[in-house]
Amino acid sequence: MPVLSPFQSSIAKPGQGKVVLTLLPPGIPTLKTLTYKYPLKLLTRTSGFVPESSASKNAARPVHLYLLSYGGGLLPGDQIEVSVTLEPCTRLVVTTPQGSTKIFKTEVEEVGTTRLAGGEEETRLQKMSRQVVDVRIDRGAALCYLPDPSVPFRDSRYEQVQRFTVVDGTVRDDAQRSSLCVLDWVTQGRTSRGENWDFHSWRGKNEVWSENDKKKKLLLRDSVILDQESQDPAAGYTLIRERTRPHGVVGTLILYGPLFESLASFFMDTFASLPRIGGRNWSTAPSTAADASHNNADGNVTWTAARVRAGFVLVKFGARDFETARSWLGGLLRREGSIAREFGEEALLFCS
Amino acid sequence: MHALLLLSDSALPLGSFAYSSGLESYLAHNKPLPRSTTVIASFQRFLELSIASIASTSIPYLLAAYRDPESLVTLDNDLDASTPCVVAQRASVAQGRALLGVWERAFRETYKNQPDWAPESSRRAIDVIGRFSDDLKSSVGGPDDLGPKGHFAPIWGVVCLAMGVELQQATYIFMLNHAKAVLSAAVRASVMGPYQAQSVLASKTLQDMITKRIEHEWETDTADAGQLVPALDLWVGRHELLYSRIFNS
Repeated sequence: MPVLSPFQSSIAKPGQGKVVLTLLPPGIPTLKTLTYKYPLKLLTRTSGFVPESSASKNAARPVHLYLLSYGGGLLPGDQIEVSVTLEPCTRLVVTTPQGSTKIFKTEVEEVGTTRLAGGEEETRLQKMSRQVVDVRIDRGAALCYLPDPSVPFRDSRYEQVQRFTVVDGTVRDDAQRSSLCVLDWVTQGRTSRGENWDFHSWRGKNEVWSENDKKKKLLLRDSVILDQESQDPAAGYTLIRERTRPHGVVGTLILYGPLFESLASFFMDTFASLPRIGGRNWSTAPSTAADASHNNADGNVTWTAARVRAGFVLVKFGARDFETARSWLGGLLRREGSIAREFGEEALLFCS
Repeated sequence: MHALLLLSDSALPLGSFAYSSGLESYLAHNKPLPRSTTVIASFQRFLELSIASIASTSIPYLLAAYRDPESLVTLDNDLDASTPCVVAQRASVAQGRALLGVWERAFRETYKNQPDWAPESSRRAIDVIGRFSDDLKSSVGGPDDLGPKGHFAPIWGVVCLAMGVELQQATYIFMLNHAKAVLSAAVRASVMGPYQAQSVLASKTLQDMITKRIEHEWETDTADAGQLVPALDLWVGRHELLYSRIFNS
């Protein structure tokens, strides 16, 4: 795959990265730009996979982007800023081959509530780890972003902002619409060390904007704030673990656009056919082995799927632990099959 | 003072009592309770989580609408975009529209003729509500329609501004009304008796809790509003799965 300018990396600031993916005739995915700087590392690869039975005509070969960091995690003060542009009809798969993103401990002298805005908080801000991902998805382009969860260690502070911009999100024509699949999940920490939501702060925000002639409109915002507001054990419900109980991992899956429509409908149907809570099962038919194992997994995963506005389907889940969530989600994504069909098996790296 | 009492009246026809804000689903999901926990303790936990959550997701919008009524349309859109589940979305929109209805049919008559000394912002708020309400009536309202929705919190902010209620008080009543609705749902779901509910409502603990949550969100920008209690989104979203329901949320 031709990379046009291999020397551009000198432009990037620490932690910054920039990717521009375009399609050259007759449909060869090409990286116009690929720059990054320590502690961020970006690797790309065009897979041999060609989507043959795609929901869209003339499907382009997906390009893989591997999001890496030195040490497989973020140290206090690390600021990662990745900007990705997907030009029309390109397809990008983003994964984290190092596994979960570890958020290392932040040393802070004073304790209290965190505020992200304001100048006097500047020093505090520098001690946080921060990751900003900004993706622009042009007409007919698709992003499949299924990373491993972030694992905040005891006493860590982290903020993550993921901004996705689709070009003219209100257009009806499927060939013109962008597609988006984003998974964002966070765990209670290192369970092997007995960590149970013991970090100071983890904020995750996912936004989808529609841009039309320079006018921007917010289509979706999913924001979770897990803040240890007080260090006092008597503070009760201000502890993060009280707000996530009984879950050891919580997460969100955002689905949008024609390429993920069948997956979105699959989640909606599966959710609608969950057994009623508090109802009784009058069915006398013996359930098959496959059904039973599926039900067992479900028992440990609490989830909802909702078709919110502008055609988005939002799946929210909470599970006992990472393994349970992973096998549940991986199971559903594989059973439905369209991710593997459109982007190749490798897109499902997190559950392989 | 008069406006304050009107807005805090439980007879204000907003239909708030049709919603349990996830309590019904929470009770179903936490059944049976472990021996060490009583129903009341479990409810106390829910109330505290619910108040923290409604504060972090709604108060920034209420404050922003009050401080800048002209931004109502944007705030309404952004809150709609930030509401992750349809159950909560329906509840918020139904109450917001009901409040608009009450304003138009009952309050507007009294408050539209503002005396000269009335702050200019109240007059602006009245204009904004009028325009917003017209927009709302003329929008198609399909599921993919991105027009005005009529979410509760920002409309509450603007209506309070129009009626000359102070911001601090407007926010406090909003939170107290939420607590009242949850408590009333608890009574109807047989969690506790009406006297016990009143005693929770009157308690210093609840007052402190509300004051603290308002303080916590006072400077929060709407772009930084978010869910403090991820588990609550799951309970509210799964309300639709309950075999039998007495509430709309």
